[in-house]
Amino acid sequence: MKDSGEVEKTFIGGLHEELREDKIIDEAQLDLDFPKEIRKYGGRDVMTCLQCGNCTGVCPISLKIDYKTRSIIKYCQFGLKKYTLGTRWVCATCYRCYEHCPADINPAEVMIALRHIAVREGIIPPFVRTAAMNLAKYGQSVKPDPEIDKIRKELGLPMIEAEDPEYARVVREIGVLLHATKYDKLIGIQEEVKL
Amino acid sequence: MTAPAPQEKDSTAMASEKEAGKAAGPRIGVFVCHCGSNIAGVVDCTKVREAAGQLPGVIVAKENKYTCSDLGQEEIIKAIKENGLERVVVASCSPRLHEPTFRKCIQQAGLNPYLLQMVNIREQCSWVHSLEKDKATEKAKDLVRMGVSKAAKLQPLEAREVPVEPASLVVGGGVAGIQAALDLAQMGFKVYLVESKPSIGGKMAQLDKTFPTGDCAICILAPKMVELSRNSNITLLSYSEVEEVKGYIGNYEVKVRRKARYVHEEKCVGCGLCADACPVKVDNEFDLGFGQRKAIYIPFPQAVPLKYAIDKENCLHFKTGKCLLCVKACTNEAVDHSLQDEILSIKVGTIIVATGYDTYTPKKNGVYRYWEYDNVITGLELERLVNASGPTGGHLIRPSDGQPPKRVAFVQCVGSRNKKIGNNYCSRVCCMYAIKNAQIIKEHAPETEITVYYNDIRAFGKGFEELYHRIREDYFVEFIRGRPAKLSQDPKTKSIKIRAEETLLNKITEREFDLVVLSVGLVPSEGSKKIGKILSLTTTADGFFAEAHPKLRPVDTAMDGIYLAGCAQGPKDIPDSVAQAKAAAASAAIPMSARKVTIEPLTASVNEELCQGCGLCTELCPYGAPELVQSEKGGWKARVTEALCHGCGTCAASCPQKAIVAMQFTDEQIYSELEAALPGQPKTHAKTHHGKKKAEAEVS
Repeated sequence: MKDSGEVEKTFIGGLHEELREDKIIDEAQLDLDFPKEIRKYGGRDVMTCLQCGNCTGVCPISLKIDYKTRSIIKYCQFGLKKYTLGTRWVCATCYRCYEHCPADINPAEVMIALRHIAVREGIIPPFVRTAAMNLAKYGQSVKPDPEIDKIRKELGLPMIEAEDPEYARVVREIGVLLHATKYDKLIGIQEEVKL
Repeated sequence: MTAPAPQEKDSTAMASEKEAGKAAGPRIGVFVCHCGSNIAGVVDCTKVREAAGQLPGVIVAKENKYTCSDLGQEEIIKAIKENGLERVVVASCSPRLHEPTFRKCIQQAGLNPYLLQMVNIREQCSWVHSLEKDKATEKAKDLVRMGVSKAAKLQPLEAREVPVEPASLVVGGGVAGIQAALDLAQMGFKVYLVESKPSIGGKMAQLDKTFPTGDCAICILAPKMVELSRNSNITLLSYSEVEEVKGYIGNYEVKVRRKARYVHEEKCVGCGLCADACPVKVDNEFDLGFGQRKAIYIPFPQAVPLKYAIDKENCLHFKTGKCLLCVKACTNEAVDHSLQDEILSIKVGTIIVATGYDTYTPKKNGVYRYWEYDNVITGLELERLVNASGPTGGHLIRPSDGQPPKRVAFVQCVGSRNKKIGNNYCSRVCCMYAIKNAQIIKEHAPETEITVYYNDIRAFGKGFEELYHRIREDYFVEFIRGRPAKLSQDPKTKSIKIRAEETLLNKITEREFDLVVLSVGLVPSEGSKKIGKILSLTTTADGFFAEAHPKLRPVDTAMDGIYLAGCAQGPKDIPDSVAQAKAAAASAAIPMSARKVTIEPLTASVNEELCQGCGLCTELCPYGAPELVQSEKGGWKARVTEALCHGCGTCAASCPQKAIVAMQFTDEQIYSELEAALPGQPKTHAKTHHGKKKAEAEVS
């Protein structure tokens, strides 16, 4: 406590840096129409959530990472989109939250709705685009891999032959679907889609 | 009130020209109500009034801010007298609310009260079409046109009076039934109290202490039970069930099954020698399986009547034909295995339904593992375990090993506020009984750690919030806001681990407890379901009985002469149950004091010349009003008991001969409405459109 900087830090409880930023959520950040948007994309009414936390408690993901289903529903109620950004893709859609929800909300489908909204706003994580590209190229979201072929062989499963006309037909059909539903444009993979 | 009252707009300009051409039909007055802004905020009432003024037969059309107010009613009376009106159409709210008001009003002006036609432009226009103002106005005009057209065909009807038997049947002997019976008896009415169990007392007798004051439940209930048994106006029919109810307000004929006790009630003195001698021990349902009783038993020491009963399923004599130790033990020759059920017929004027509740039973394989883990119990089971006259003498133990628990968890909202199981409602008592039981446990064993898992604490009653405060301040009870997600049992210690999100910390916690108490909610009782069928009572979506009006007729049912008290109508605590019981008794006393009651003339009547006695109406009527009787000329004819008839029109709509007419809903009246609704359509004829007519009658 000899020099003045030390004194100042002690005075504000060592939170010198944090105090520079305002932690108040401004009204302008709220989007009270957001719950309606979620409903449009198939999420049930988040407004009826009792905030009991049952969904978090049964969520296998919540046990491992800092992801609280209940909090995300709360953020949705206020339309605080930015707080839901990083977490919406981790949901495994196991539907245990839906099974236990006393308010009969389906949090898993809310997460799916959030993904729809995010993608339409152009917020697409790279792994999603990669999976979509794989789908367009190979007809499956996982890229063919010699390692996988090895496992298939061990399990006695048939090999995937890229030259097989049937296989090529399936890939083309998927491409047609991706194009017809404008999914290719949405994700930005038009070039990968073979018609 | 700041908004200026609308001018009394009178369509006098049209009045004179009408006078000439309209002498033939009855003179009609139309009164359009603004209902403040309830209607006028959406429907353009002036347009509706102007349109009504043009209709055939309409002499006067007025609008009013509140037609039901004194001023509004005065105006109707004035208009009737000044213009010699013969029919009145009020376009306002649902007839359920104000039809009686306006009937009285036009009666004051000298008109027959049944020459009134209500048009609902609030619930059916402004409230449901609040976003489409123009369409709502058009619909209001259509409805008024239909109402005016029907009004022209209305016929005067006369109400009848029937006598009322000054006796009441109270079904259910819990605290609500006891209170209602006592109040009625003290007013001087004869009361029959029917209770299905061997003793009255209900669920309250099972409780330990009552919130928020901590009075001992049985200590305050037992004196009332004794008082009831000693009141000469009350016939206590314990161990009995209502089998059949016929009749109508003032004149109910009730059959009560008196289940055989196998003990002569008049001889038994309640000494208990028989039970001492009985060799059979079974779980006592009163203690929810924690204590035991004999096969000849009273459920609890303070039972009223203090008369033993034999449980036929477990009695050795009924199983093997031998034993009879109780017969030998009884010094008064009261035990008699040859007794049979008896059917008792009684006549009453009113019925009070106080059939109470059951506690919610947690699901098998549910999250809370109630059926698998010994140390997960319900709130009512805890009441018996902390009760001084309970199986443990008031010492709280855990069921698995009989040891006192060091850590106790309460789980709130089990079976309440849960859409998944269909119980959307709050059971109103669980928060407070959990808090109260936490206090009892802390008083017995202050070192016990108590945690309450809650969603919201609803401490809304008098003294409730203070208790909630005290339990945290003085007893250090911990509250976790979160619904337990997973319960798991330690196989050795049988302790229960609870995983839940502590939502206010935003963290998932896992805690171990010796005993977990599920604060189970309240559900309609089995007895309620039975009596509901017998009395044709309606229920609300939650399964509890529906009151006639949620605010203004809270103890009446849709059936005249039948009243509700206690938890049969919805979850409530003891003070509310007692208050409602007193209200039900007071309501039942109204017709019984008057000794007579007016019966609505809106009933069905049979034209015997057309009736062919097919009996279809007797099968379809939900109230049992029509019956087939032998006519003088031979052959069967339907006859409607007017006091039973509710005027629903089911019989009239279904009669293949069109022999039945529902008053104020005659074919002629309904067709005149339909013709007004569909202007320009070819006239429909009843006789050529049987099927269509039936469908339309149902719609109307």
